[in-house]
Amino acid sequence: MLAAQAEGRKSFEIEAETLGEALHALPVADLLFNERGELNRHLNVYVDGTDARERGGLEGPLAAAREIRIVAMVSGG
Amino acid sequence: MLWGDDDRRRWQAEGPLLEGWGVYHATVDPRDGTLHAAANHVVYGPTVQRSTDTGKTWTRSKQIGLPAESGLTLNATWHIEPGRREDPETLYLGADPGVLFRSDDGGETWEANRGILEHPTREGWFPGAGGMCCHSIQLDPRDRQRMYVGITAAGVFRSDDGGETWIPVNHNVAADFLADPYSEVGQCPHKLLLHPARDRLWQQNHFGVYLSDDHGDSWVRLDGNGLPGGFGFPIMLDPNDPDKAFVIPERGPEYHYSPGGRLTVYRTRDGGDSWEPMADGLPEQAWAAVLREASAYDEESLYFGTQSGSFFALTDGDRWVEAVRHLPPILSVEVAAWSG
Repeated sequence: MLAAQAEGRKSFEIEAETLGEALHALPVADLLFNERGELNRHLNVYVDGTDARERGGLEGPLAAAREIRIVAMVSGG
Repeated sequence: MLWGDDDRRRWQAEGPLLEGWGVYHATVDPRDGTLHAAANHVVYGPTVQRSTDTGKTWTRSKQIGLPAESGLTLNATWHIEPGRREDPETLYLGADPGVLFRSDDGGETWEANRGILEHPTREGWFPGAGGMCCHSIQLDPRDRQRMYVGITAAGVFRSDDGGETWIPVNHNVAADFLADPYSEVGQCPHKLLLHPARDRLWQQNHFGVYLSDDHGDSWVRLDGNGLPGGFGFPIMLDPNDPDKAFVIPERGPEYHYSPGGRLTVYRTRDGGDSWEPMADGLPEQAWAAVLREASAYDEESLYFGTQSGSFFALTDGDRWVEAVRHLPPILSVEVAAWSG
């Protein structure tokens, strides 16, 4: 569904220092954050397979990270 | 998208459009044919989408937000009202938490209305079961400066200066869940409509059906005149007759389904002095609920959809036709004429 909002694209190549910078560079950034810049709570983000919260969150440096995955964690199922 | 033929007996369903989004309200801008949708998603949040090709492709508004100093964040988008013909790029958006936005660029960007956002009575507002939604926006076609909003549970507010300032207009409207049931604010309008041809407001409230002929300064309660109860959500009008209105009662605030297991539209033809059932063609047995945006009217007919996914249209002879069934819960119904 997120890809549908990005004209069908499922992946983007982005150079960024931090996770937050990378996510804000996406054309669907408005669907990831609220107006306070907080990540929507039903999203899980993994950096090279590690939960982003264990890597310093949005401020965490990406360093040599190669892959960021955004996963919708729909609650209530 | 449901396409009907001229006699409204045969319909075709197309879609789904905006797949996966909860469309709380969608409407066609009569000025240019653009389709606007208040689209919400549990993961991706609230937004507004618009389409200029009858739903084939969509463009999202840039992020809609409330100013940081408000301390509020946008919870949901609820209702889109196209602006006046003389302001072709202007649209209004009602949203949760009890806020109104205006766009002057055709829905690309939105700015919060300060008069509503910073209203001095806001502390007396509180959310209903569906949140604190601004779900009704009515522009007075006879006075460019006058408009109305309905907010749950804050009440009805009127602006006489183009939206700069707002006064609560809830006199005589019951809010039985409050310590003072006739307080200035805290009422729970479920849907507010202004008749297009006359200064007459109709309101389906949590506690009754009301009419006002003085711009909301006072209201007359009408549901003691033949309705099975005062609770319901949608209301429909007849653009050619301000004395006519149509409601779909539910059993009560804690029982959101048809009273007696009989889905029925009630019509008044005398300004609410009396109501009569219109059930021909509706199911003999149905415990249905019709949401606040899930009804519409035009010059020729009435239309509504149920939470159980049935869409009904009124045909000649006051007979309802279940035009489409087995849809997901129907959140919004609007009608537009397109020649194909």
